[in-house]
Amino acid sequence: MTNDDALEVATRAVDLAIEAGAEHAEASFSIAARFHVEARGAAVSKLERSTGSSMHVRLWRDRRHATVSTSDLTAQALRASFLGALDQLRYVAQDPYAELPDEFGAFTGDLALVDPTIVVREEAEKIEDALALERSIRAADPRIINSSGSHYSDANATIALANSAGFRGVYTASRASRSTGPVAEDHGAKRTAHYGTAGRVLHDLETPDAIGAVAARRAVEMFGARKPSTMRVPVIFERDVAAAVVDDIFSAVAASNVAVGNSWLADRVGERIGSHLVTIIDDGTLPARLGSAPFDGEGVPTRRTSVFENGVLRTFLYDSYYARKMGARTTGNSTGGAIGANNFYLVPGDGSLADLVAATRRGVLVLDTIGFATEHATGSYSRGARGFMIENGELAYPIDEFTVAGNFADMLAGVDAVANDLRFDGSTVSPSFRVAEMTISGN
Amino acid sequence: MLDSDVLTRLLVRALRHGGDYADVFCERRRSYAFRLQDGQIHDGATAIAQGVGVRVIVGESAGYAYSDDLSVEALMRAAEAASLIARSGAAQATGTIDLTTLQVAPLYDQSRHDHAPAARYVDLLERADRRARADDPRIVAVNAHVADELQDVWIATSEGRFVHDHRPMVTLGVQVVASAHGQRGSGYAADGGRIAIDYFDTHSPEELAADAARIAATNLDAEPAPAGEMEMVVGAGGGGVLLHEAVGHGLESDFNRRGTSLYSGRVGERVASELVTIYDDGNLREERGSITVDDEGIPGQHKVLVERGVLRGYMQDTLNARLMGAQPTGSGRRQSYRFLPQPRMCNTYMPSGESTPEEIIASTKRGLYAKSFAGGQVEISKGDFVFMVAEGYLIENGKITAPVRNATIVGNGPDAMTKVVAVGNDARFARRHYTCGKGGQHVPVGVGMPTVKISSITVGGTDDER
Repeated sequence: MTNDDALEVATRAVDLAIEAGAEHAEASFSIAARFHVEARGAAVSKLERSTGSSMHVRLWRDRRHATVSTSDLTAQALRASFLGALDQLRYVAQDPYAELPDEFGAFTGDLALVDPTIVVREEAEKIEDALALERSIRAADPRIINSSGSHYSDANATIALANSAGFRGVYTASRASRSTGPVAEDHGAKRTAHYGTAGRVLHDLETPDAIGAVAARRAVEMFGARKPSTMRVPVIFERDVAAAVVDDIFSAVAASNVAVGNSWLADRVGERIGSHLVTIIDDGTLPARLGSAPFDGEGVPTRRTSVFENGVLRTFLYDSYYARKMGARTTGNSTGGAIGANNFYLVPGDGSLADLVAATRRGVLVLDTIGFATEHATGSYSRGARGFMIENGELAYPIDEFTVAGNFADMLAGVDAVANDLRFDGSTVSPSFRVAEMTISGN
Repeated sequence: MLDSDVLTRLLVRALRHGGDYADVFCERRRSYAFRLQDGQIHDGATAIAQGVGVRVIVGESAGYAYSDDLSVEALMRAAEAASLIARSGAAQATGTIDLTTLQVAPLYDQSRHDHAPAARYVDLLERADRRARADDPRIVAVNAHVADELQDVWIATSEGRFVHDHRPMVTLGVQVVASAHGQRGSGYAADGGRIAIDYFDTHSPEELAADAARIAATNLDAEPAPAGEMEMVVGAGGGGVLLHEAVGHGLESDFNRRGTSLYSGRVGERVASELVTIYDDGNLREERGSITVDDEGIPGQHKVLVERGVLRGYMQDTLNARLMGAQPTGSGRRQSYRFLPQPRMCNTYMPSGESTPEEIIASTKRGLYAKSFAGGQVEISKGDFVFMVAEGYLIENGKITAPVRNATIVGNGPDAMTKVVAVGNDARFARRHYTCGKGGQHVPVGVGMPTVKISSITVGGTDDER
């Protein structure tokens, strides 16, 4: 489907919504060709290839608001859905902030969101990537004799947005990813690890060999892990785990959470929250990054926003609805109904993760966590974890079956070192960092 | 959604390069929802998702393609894309496939084809909001949502099975935030199931809202959870999340066929205390995880996973059952037509034991009473799990004392199950709101449990001074 075709689908939906009785309407239409291959051993275990589309429409009448999502794009079905939504509006409260954005447009720089080599890549090469990952984890260590699968996937998407105020925008974007999940076995005990990468430019992705080596090392290095004793020590979050912490911080600065009392950061703009090392940026205009786009989910140009500057909370992240409601200006973070990250990242410091470890006399390096239920209202953090005990600046022995806990306010205030290993393999990312003291629960 | 002629042509096309099996999964899902915030109905939402997925299995490999364009040409392209997993080359004559409709007695009302009038849903939200704010001036925010979904699935297989299921799902959830003296506490309660909205005529939204408000206020007053090893008593109902994570996932057949689960090859072995019996059941009336047929067209079943501590069997989908020489157990589930099926849990529970809950609490010298869990996660190969406690209290000298906040439990599946030292006589199902995520796919599930005591587990709080 061409960009013009996609825009035509969105525009027609807006027209139908207005005809059905909406005062204002906005339609977002996306269509993506997706490919995924999973290999195990020398065989292809899954091969998935599809094209799927989705349509999200927001309708307003009399300052009341409803949404329609549908994959049934016939005019008759769209009309019926819109009439159903307009009927729902009779029960929705009037909301003075419910309307289309006040500003529209697109970032005009070259965002390089499409890598033509992904678009034209031969299927055989994609399959070979997954098979190469399987070979590389097995070559890395004789104890790796199994895997939960190695993956290559990619997608090429066209995203079109139209609204009844005349905004028309469309862009295309590609992405590719590689990942693997080796299973190591030693005297009947099993250990797994996962490692991978994703990006918009195929050439920039870590190679199958590089990914396989990291994943394999992470699986086998956990053999002989002990449960640590309960203690308060410095904790280093390796970058992938750090990214999950940064994702929780994103949730706490999303205005939609702040507005409903679901953020520990509510009422704290202007306050010093973190240490001077905590500078967190949201930027939708970084070329060739996964979180970049010329406009957000409601046609507002993306931009660069400093959320934390040297520890001081400068702003929340808004769409136009919550901006109006909270007396702020949109930061271009609408997903078309919710608030989402563009590229939301902790600014890297100097030195490698190894330097961070070497500078830690006694502490814990966290390499992986499980669990997810962060309480954003209270800001409490607690995860099951595995990693290494650090003694005298060295990785002393692997540890697992413990938790790492604290609260975000103390964690951000306690950030006393940030590494330089940031990579943009998602839309919320972070370099490794160290927190001066947290609670480790074990024996 | 598609007539049998088109289904047959898709299956024949899917197998034209060879393959052991093919199926076509057609889905149409409609949902209708409202949200309340700030004491007002914030918005309404409707959604329609429809599409068709075609799968071809060749040995251990699966080819898959979906289409939300329902034209015959687009569907045939999907079947062709799925067929390419079998690249043996030589085109095969599959012959014809005669589809026979499988009739299965439904586990939920199949006669409802539309949502109720809007006012019914809005009334539930407004009543929940009023009740949540009624008792305690420290309640500062109430967010509530209600959704009514109707999912139709039609499954046709190359073995000639054709089956339709019509699955309702209603969810009402209330989230409450309490705030005072610079502290916050939050509480959540939700219920529903494969029912219609009139379920809430007898299960009032006030009851849910009062619970959410009580948990928020309790957490507001709570002390930081202790850190370290101690006894744990798991509350009846919602404690069933423990079974789901500590044991259930490890018994899904994909992990076991691939040998990546710590339970691989251990059927017949002791994996838990002999007080422990665990079932997974897709056949319970109106529960969230119930399915008249699974997403491969196999009727839901009652499965014995662990019986008096001994591992009895795995949960099987058709691909893994075929490769393991087992029978499918009605456990093949998928989030939508865009996904390959996976072996999944339905409703996982432990039946009652002998002890009274009072005896169990009284026997605990120093421990954590985890009344309910917010969720959990498990690592399959070693069996390490975590749970986030939604409502927890200290137990001191046989009595429930102070509430604690932010407790996470970390343990190891077989280790924790071996340390089950008491099972209560009060088994019940949790309120119906749990959703399980695996491999990027979310499906509704149920959990149930009596009060259970585990002799030692690691509590991951922040207070290590106790």
